[in-house]
Amino acid sequence: MADDQPLLEVENLTTKFSTDNGTLTAVDGVDFSVNTGETVCIVGESGSGKTVATESITKIINTPPGEIEGTVRYKGRDLLSLPESELRQIRGNEIAHIFQNPQEAMNHCYTVGWQITEALQIHQDVSDDEARAKAVDLMDRVGIANASSRFDDYPHEFSGGQKQRVMIAMALVGDPDLLIADEPTTALDVTVQAQILRLLDDLQEEFEMGVLFVTHDLGVVAEIADRIVVMYAGKVMERGDVLDIFDHPGHPYTQQLLECLPEFGGTGGGIPGTLPDPHDPPDGCRFAPRCEYAEEACRTGEQPEEIEVAPGQEVSCVHYGPGGNPSIVRSEGLGPGDDTGTVDGDSEVGPADD
Amino acid sequence: MGFGRYVTARVLWAAVVSLIIVTVTFLLLSAAPNPAVQRAATQAALQGGDPAEAAERARELRGLNQPLYVRYFDFIRNVYTLEWGWSVSRSQPVMEAVTQALYYTAQYSIPWTILTVILGPLVGVYSAANMYSWKDHAATGFAFFGYAIPNFFFGIILLLVFGVWLEWIPITYKTGVPVFSVQNAIQLAIPVFVLVTGSIGAVMRVSRNESAEFQNADFMKTAKAKGVSPLRAYAYHVMRPTLVPLSTTLVGQLLALFLGASLLVEVVFSIPGLGRLTYEALLAQDTNLVLGTTLFFTFVAVIGNLIEDLVFTVLDPRISYDDR
Amino acid sequence: MATEESERFDKVDWNDLSRSGRFDLSINSIGMLLTALPLTLLGVYSTAFTGPRTATFEFIGLEQNLESLDFFFIFTLLLAFWYLALPLYQNPRMTRYYWKEFKRNRPAVVSLGWLGIVFVGGLVGPLIMDPPQQQLLIGYQPPVFTSVVDTTPATCVGDVVNGRCFGTWQHPLGTTQGGKDVFTMIVYGMTISMQIAFITTTIVATIGISFGTLSAYAGGWIDEIMMRFVDIILSFPTFLMFLLILYIYGAGLGMFIVVFSLFAWGGTARYIRSKSLSISEEEFIKASRISGASTYQVIRGHVVPNAASSIITQLTLLIPGFLLAEAQLAFLGIGDSAVPSWGQLISAGRSDLSFAPWIVLAPGIVLFFTILAFNFLGDALLDALNPEAEAESE
Repeated sequence: MADDQPLLEVENLTTKFSTDNGTLTAVDGVDFSVNTGETVCIVGESGSGKTVATESITKIINTPPGEIEGTVRYKGRDLLSLPESELRQIRGNEIAHIFQNPQEAMNHCYTVGWQITEALQIHQDVSDDEARAKAVDLMDRVGIANASSRFDDYPHEFSGGQKQRVMIAMALVGDPDLLIADEPTTALDVTVQAQILRLLDDLQEEFEMGVLFVTHDLGVVAEIADRIVVMYAGKVMERGDVLDIFDHPGHPYTQQLLECLPEFGGTGGGIPGTLPDPHDPPDGCRFAPRCEYAEEACRTGEQPEEIEVAPGQEVSCVHYGPGGNPSIVRSEGLGPGDDTGTVDGDSEVGPADD
Repeated sequence: MGFGRYVTARVLWAAVVSLIIVTVTFLLLSAAPNPAVQRAATQAALQGGDPAEAAERARELRGLNQPLYVRYFDFIRNVYTLEWGWSVSRSQPVMEAVTQALYYTAQYSIPWTILTVILGPLVGVYSAANMYSWKDHAATGFAFFGYAIPNFFFGIILLLVFGVWLEWIPITYKTGVPVFSVQNAIQLAIPVFVLVTGSIGAVMRVSRNESAEFQNADFMKTAKAKGVSPLRAYAYHVMRPTLVPLSTTLVGQLLALFLGASLLVEVVFSIPGLGRLTYEALLAQDTNLVLGTTLFFTFVAVIGNLIEDLVFTVLDPRISYDDR
Repeated sequence: MATEESERFDKVDWNDLSRSGRFDLSINSIGMLLTALPLTLLGVYSTAFTGPRTATFEFIGLEQNLESLDFFFIFTLLLAFWYLALPLYQNPRMTRYYWKEFKRNRPAVVSLGWLGIVFVGGLVGPLIMDPPQQQLLIGYQPPVFTSVVDTTPATCVGDVVNGRCFGTWQHPLGTTQGGKDVFTMIVYGMTISMQIAFITTTIVATIGISFGTLSAYAGGWIDEIMMRFVDIILSFPTFLMFLLILYIYGAGLGMFIVVFSLFAWGGTARYIRSKSLSISEEEFIKASRISGASTYQVIRGHVVPNAASSIITQLTLLIPGFLLAEAQLAFLGIGDSAVPSWGQLISAGRSDLSFAPWIVLAPGIVLFFTILAFNFLGDALLDALNPEAEAESE
């Protein structure tokens, strides 16, 4: 059901913050897109800029001290050039957000029902009864038992997992076309995580949405993603189809991320080193300081241009560029498909709309 | 326990507290030498009679020679049946004196309360929204000034400037003026101004600090993501949680200022209100009247605390009644 | 110490090391005892043995006299020195950190400066300045740099130009109706304010902390009753009580202090109690109990230091209330007019406000600044000492 035009097209998004220590560049020239019906996962460690990137899309970032540049085309319109009043009409109505920590995400002074219907009533002219009915229906749909009586309960009367379900209901009540989910399951128990992911999957189909999902957990990515965008230190390192990337990851960083997952034959260790200082990023490839394949060429100039290494898969790495030798990076043959055989690897990875 | 039981428990406790305070006041007063008795003794001494005997007779007349507990029970009964006795200094029943004075006190204390309760949180939230800008500093500076400057001092200075030097306002309050007239408003303007500047500071600071915490809360981000406008976000999402801690300070503060401030303001501006009534009764050592006004203020304070507690539990749904 | 024998874990004498004996005193306590002892003796001597007309120090030939209130004041000053000031010196790192945080708040630093002036002025002033003398002839002198109509004062100390009498540096803030130098009176008033500040807070802290810890320690229904008692104390209409008690029973400065303290300790007691209760739930307390600490040691070693910063802040914020109350009561005519407090000054000058405003303005502004300073200070202390504070009062 994808249209010709991507639902969301982000081009050269740059977000800076002016702080006491100078200008902090959290997102530095990032592109990606999301189509209706597909789930795009932005992957990276904490501090890679992924949250700031998603919050820049609808300008939730406070613009002093933040500064957002670039183009964010939603259904053809550049959101960044819209006046705030028009943006407000899009937020909650066409583009909805779910955040990481449901504990504090709701106002403790109002009932859950009030907060859900608020999302509806500020955009559409519906009566209180209609709004309530819709909210209760949604609460039921997201898996809250006794939705009708729970409508009048307060946030503190719900468990963590339930709170997140309520947040999902709140996000969906306006019938959005794009859902931006920022690590919605990270703060939840593992069992609840799985339930919420499944729920989101179902809802995506039901509501015909595009989903932009941020996470640092590749296990989650494996479950739900159609396409992946790997971010590091504010820039995109690699992008592509989920199967392709898990099968043959191109960028050293992606390979290292996969190596961290025991399920994929990795050793389960962390990646040595830390993120660069966002006030003063290094020249050349952002990942070079931590990369075992780094060469002189990696440390000069700008972040390498993305090169298509397979249909739909692009990598930002010197070794794939002109004059580079991909076999350096490929030589160890990391990734699930290469070493341990396909039995364990493939059954975990599946496209999102199965 | 449920809300109903909680309210009942608190009301009962309020009644107990007021009873105790009233009792203490009674004991304090009865332990003090009664001026009328002393007068009788002095007179007798001057006239060559027996002061002790005169004193004894004076006591008998006033029923003061009865054992303490009898007087106490009489007193308590009178208090709760609202027969508060006769005011010697004013030659009228205490009840009447109190209600008359209350009439004048209300004329300034009601606008004072309304203005504080409305302006305080508004200025506070505005200040928090513009945190650390000059607007914030100006508002905070003003709040500190108003709070720190003693009301009576501020009052006499303003009276000097506006009453004596500029002659814009009358120096003493005229009681004959109709309540809802411009003239009344003019003569009440400065007293109310002084009172409001005194009380608004604390309210504004508390609401500023509390709302500052909330305006950066996660739920504000949620609200923004839902498309809530900043105005609505502040009006609904910031104000409401702010009211919770604010209500405790609000009521407590207002009541705490009530007597101290109003008494002095009334003295400075010559308003014949409840505060001044108490003061004059004390000077005249008019026991019944003193007791009457003390009772009144005690009731007000106790009920104020009660309302404050109840409001607090109602406004913050997270509080369970057992905790308090 | 028993570790001299060896540093082996099993050979260490823990009892010895833990220094938990009741009679083990820190240098602060020793210093306190040493200085308080002669003070107490002097005090007893002064009140019991010398008559009301004999100066305390007459036995060494000085005319200085110390009232009983002064003894208490000095006692509180000693307490402040040994337990507040000296520990700051003993823990330089902590002090430097707090000072750094505190310094950020510029109004607070200015306030500290002002309060320092008031403190030093109050302590030293009466020693170097003679008490204000009544000199009717030079009543109503204006402050320096200002002038009044020549007819106001009986004689003019300064120059008379164009029918106006000018102020002089001899009386920088002018004189009162009775010719007393306003500046001197304000300095003497500083002493009174300091006395009120120090003594009431000491009493409030003592009663409050004792009551609160006792209540928490006792637990059960004793705790319940004690807290109910605190509730009642807190419900009294305080200013009214001040009026009542002070008017009927007489109103020297000492009475003021006693009455103020009696109604003000409730908040501190409540706070300490809740702090004690919550601390006793902390893991490190449980750990220290397991290793044998008694409740008293727990309280003394953990509760009080933890709560100390909040208490100091609370108390700092109580002081302006006391000063204000004293001024208000003085204004209403309650209080000893011989006491040279700022409130008395304002009260005395009120009738002359229209033609000699400095008599009211000078002490009024000084009082205003002092109240303001304490508020800024308390606020800054709150920020510096308790970054995560949820102030009990809010």
